[in-house]
Amino acid sequence: MSDILRLSLPLTVWIAAFSAVYGLEGVVCSDRWTGAGLTLGQGRAALVAAGALAIALQLALLAGLRLPRFASALPWVQRTAAILAGVALVATVWSLVPVVATSLCL
Amino acid sequence: MTDKPRLTALRLHKALHPIWKNDPGWKGRFTTVNNNDIGTMFILGATGMFLAGGILAMLIRAQLASPRSVFMGPEVYNQIFTMHGTIMMFLFAIPFFEALTVFLLPGMLGTRDLAFPRLSSYGFWCYMIGATIMILALVAGVAPDGGWFMYPPLSSSAFSPGINTDIWLLGISFIEISAIGAAVEVVVTVLRYRAVGMTLDRLPIFAWYMLVVAVMILTAFPPMILGSLILELERAFDMPFFQAEHGGDSLLWQHLFWLFGHPEVYIIFLPAAGVISMILPVMARTTLLGYGWVVAAAISLAVLSFGLWVHHMFTTGIPHMGLAFFSAVSTLVAVPTGVQIFAWIGTLWKGRPELHLPMLWILGFFVTFVMGGLTGVMVAMVPFDWQAHDTYFVVAHLHYVLIGGYVFPMIAAVYYWLPVLTGRKRFFRMGEVAFWLVMAGFHGTFLLLHWAGLLGMRRRIDSIEAGSGWEGINLLASISGFVLAIGFALVILDVAVNAFVAVRGRRNPWNAGTLEWATPIPGPAYNVASIPVVASRYPLHDNPGLPVQIARGEGFLGNPVRNRRETLAVSVARAEPEFIAVFPQNSIIPFAMAVVTSVMFMAPVWKWYGLMLASALGVTALAMCWAWQGGSRRDEGLLDAGRGVSLPPHTEVPCPPGWWGSLFLLLADGVLFGSLLFGYAFLWTVAPNWPPPAILEPGGLGPVLAAGGVVLACAGIRLADRAIRKAGVPWIRLGASLAGLAALGAAAWTVFGGTTHDAHAYDATLWVIAGYVVFHAGVAGLMVLFLMARIRAGYVSARRFGDARVVRLWIDYAALTAILGLGAAWLPGWLA
Amino acid sequence: MVIGGTTPLMLAGCEDRLSALHPAGPAAALIATLWWVMLAGAAAILVLVLVLLALAFRRGGGPSAGDSRGEAVWIKGLGLGFTMTVLAALTAWGLWIGERLLPRPGPGVVAVEAQGRQWAWRFTYPDAPGRVTEGALHIPAGRPVDVRITSADVIHSFWVPRLAGKLDAIPGHVNVLRIQAWAPGEYAGLGAEFNGPGYRRHHFTVVAHDAAAWDAFLAGETP
Repeated sequence: MSDILRLSLPLTVWIAAFSAVYGLEGVVCSDRWTGAGLTLGQGRAALVAAGALAIALQLALLAGLRLPRFASALPWVQRTAAILAGVALVATVWSLVPVVATSLCL
Repeated sequence: MTDKPRLTALRLHKALHPIWKNDPGWKGRFTTVNNNDIGTMFILGATGMFLAGGILAMLIRAQLASPRSVFMGPEVYNQIFTMHGTIMMFLFAIPFFEALTVFLLPGMLGTRDLAFPRLSSYGFWCYMIGATIMILALVAGVAPDGGWFMYPPLSSSAFSPGINTDIWLLGISFIEISAIGAAVEVVVTVLRYRAVGMTLDRLPIFAWYMLVVAVMILTAFPPMILGSLILELERAFDMPFFQAEHGGDSLLWQHLFWLFGHPEVYIIFLPAAGVISMILPVMARTTLLGYGWVVAAAISLAVLSFGLWVHHMFTTGIPHMGLAFFSAVSTLVAVPTGVQIFAWIGTLWKGRPELHLPMLWILGFFVTFVMGGLTGVMVAMVPFDWQAHDTYFVVAHLHYVLIGGYVFPMIAAVYYWLPVLTGRKRFFRMGEVAFWLVMAGFHGTFLLLHWAGLLGMRRRIDSIEAGSGWEGINLLASISGFVLAIGFALVILDVAVNAFVAVRGRRNPWNAGTLEWATPIPGPAYNVASIPVVASRYPLHDNPGLPVQIARGEGFLGNPVRNRRETLAVSVARAEPEFIAVFPQNSIIPFAMAVVTSVMFMAPVWKWYGLMLASALGVTALAMCWAWQGGSRRDEGLLDAGRGVSLPPHTEVPCPPGWWGSLFLLLADGVLFGSLLFGYAFLWTVAPNWPPPAILEPGGLGPVLAAGGVVLACAGIRLADRAIRKAGVPWIRLGASLAGLAALGAAAWTVFGGTTHDAHAYDATLWVIAGYVVFHAGVAGLMVLFLMARIRAGYVSARRFGDARVVRLWIDYAALTAILGLGAAWLPGWLA
Repeated sequence: MVIGGTTPLMLAGCEDRLSALHPAGPAAALIATLWWVMLAGAAAILVLVLVLLALAFRRGGGPSAGDSRGEAVWIKGLGLGFTMTVLAALTAWGLWIGERLLPRPGPGVVAVEAQGRQWAWRFTYPDAPGRVTEGALHIPAGRPVDVRITSADVIHSFWVPRLAGKLDAIPGHVNVLRIQAWAPGEYAGLGAEFNGPGYRRHHFTVVAHDAAAWDAFLAGETP
């Protein structure tokens, strides 16, 4: 079961982070954000911070899965888990590029 | 037992057959729990639904053939296209691959049945009864008519007052039971029920795909089940989840629906990809290129597909950054798809492909699916989607993806596995003609419809207008559509004729390497006479003598001395023997429970809530009978599993199959709960007319009851578990756990007192959250009572404490969701 | 065959009043360009895949290279490298176009209001309070127009294919779509979200006026 976790964890973290950033964007662009006295500039900063955190998490996972402590006994699982951790890192960067590239609430 | 003479293959068959055989006659059809029988009935049922959906497609094409060929009014036409989509997605596509999986998976894994045979039967009957109800509704003219994605407010009671929508919401939810059930089964089967030595990197690639798909079903269906539940609550009790004037938001439905709906597309595609990954290497006389990459691609595709649901909502006015996230993931998801496509082409290059009929269909897949994938990337572009959305461009695209990416590979699968399914090899050669008819018909129908969409042809219009510029395209599409239909009819006819008339085939005619070809054909009820030991991905290539060794009982459990249905459970990663799972006998309970469940689901259509409650009690009672049947009243200790290995029976391991099944069922349940909390947060931030006029006062009683209840329930079951393992008396501890669960239920009940269900979407949501907590406390409470009865009846001992572990899991889940749910419900009151 | 032959002729005959590929404004034009480029790219990729597929059958069965080389070429090279390059470029371009179509505030932007209901459209004009038109939206040609889209009942979608993409009318929400017509004239509009039995007839027209006619419309001098 821990091998299944090794294979699925990085991408699961990606979908959680992705959903969280999308949710944050929803909050920033809702009336509640400005209602709380916050500006859109602060919203952008929060989104960028969240995106950076997500990327840092993926880097940590990528490194962590290589540690002997968390390594799998099956070499095949080890290799496939490394591929999937790479996929999750790429997915994080790729999917969160809009936080720096597009207009915020239009 | 070991001093008996070695059994010959025939004698072993004679020993196994009486243990595994069906009840005689018609009764046997209803009591069978065998995967081969259920798989066959399931395939036939799903094929029937394909025919029904196809007839509706023909009606649509007849209506749209020319501006003058209109023969239905919009009221009928709207039912026809809604049911075409509903049938093809819910009653054909998903059930068909489930059916194929039920049939093939145990053989591929080298085991004797799926993990929960009665669940197979229950799921199948739920599907069959539900599908029949939907078809009857169509015949009676009360079929749903709001489009297969049922957007409120059009589907709300104000704009759809009839029972049509209720039939969709309740009928489809009922049918989803079969999908969830099959998914739980597939996950547990792939993880625990395999040939010995079939480590994770030696799984047949189809099993990997199905493991991924099953987890996707468990995580994708719950949002839609929740959506259907709350839309039905709105329709029945005026709880305003989707009514803007009362703080609801119709966009919530779209989010919940597409949270299901997009993964759904990949749930349909991945089994087809699994089939191709099995067949294509055999057709090319080689092995799959990049097995690990393909597994990684399948997993990536599965998870990425949960991050693109909003691409169905590009025109709903979500800010561009929000759309951009989903546009980016929508293109990214094409990467693992591309990896698979190129891995398959690379496999063909690596081997020497031969143009047998299954390969022909796979080539049809390549041409069609690549085109559908490319148009899919196009509509992933936000600006282009603004034009193409809800036009025939999208209709054409989705048919390229679903027919090209799913139906063609499934036909390849049927022809490829025909020897396993029927025991006969293909004799008549209608299949090639049918293939070319389908190809010509398909592209003739759909290719130019892309163009019609860009010329302004909206999907779901009930007729085309003269002078629109797309009459010619539509006439061509209609004529080609009928060619396509004739082609598909020929395929079905060809398979049927070959199944009944063709000559008996030899075992493994394609010279494939996987275990489903190791059994005699057609396969016996027990699938494998003994559980083999494998050392690679293609065991039959390593050891052509393996089928004979299996049949002679040289694997595990090759000596059925205990005269009951047994199979081997292995460890998850390394597939080492762990315990002996004892399967249930034939049983009418699954069928009976499916019938009663159907009453429970359909009674609310006519607002017969008394009948609904009565049948809910019936389902509960039957579920208890079901659970009661398993288990043992005596400790058996280590049993001979063959090959010199002794293993405990499943009743004497800490985590029995029921625990694993519960774990994955609770995964689905947890996703449903998460979706509920998402809906709550979504309404709070996005919906108009918030905050609500009145916020729930948490008070003191509710939180105290909840906190005390959680502690008591969780501690009680843990202490009881410890007592059982020490052969002690757990009554007081179980009683404490029960009291804790009652306190949890009471805590949730205070929410009902502090809110009015139909006042505001806030109140309505709190009612659902509280109802969820009460329901789960109730289920866990019933399980404690059941456990008490089991202990009294002698089913539990210091060695047999698995039941207690299952109950503990459910109590922990009830407690966790109660804390989260009630916390979320009370949070605004605490903050205010 | 007859039908196959006549279809292109009918297309050339140009019944294009609902055609997204006959743009009459900047938004539709940008999207149409995107489409033609994507069509060309998709065709090229399709041909590439089919050629690779065909070559798999025509090769004279030489000894195949080892799996690691195959993985490098097919999976890392084509599967990852090729697809990611193409998709990254396309995604970036798509987002860039999307950004250019957004209703940014600016000089000369005209605001109008469109309310969908089963099965009609009602238009009002903040620049001419009290002015209501049914079934026809009046705009000035050559100027950016922000359409504030709302719904009176179920979900609808506002779509003028020759001017811009579509945007939904959702109960409780106001969505803003930027449209612009290059020249005066009439442009067909559609309700583009299924909304019940009258869906097919859920039409409207956009009337783009030159500057003088627009002033006259606002002043109430023309219907």
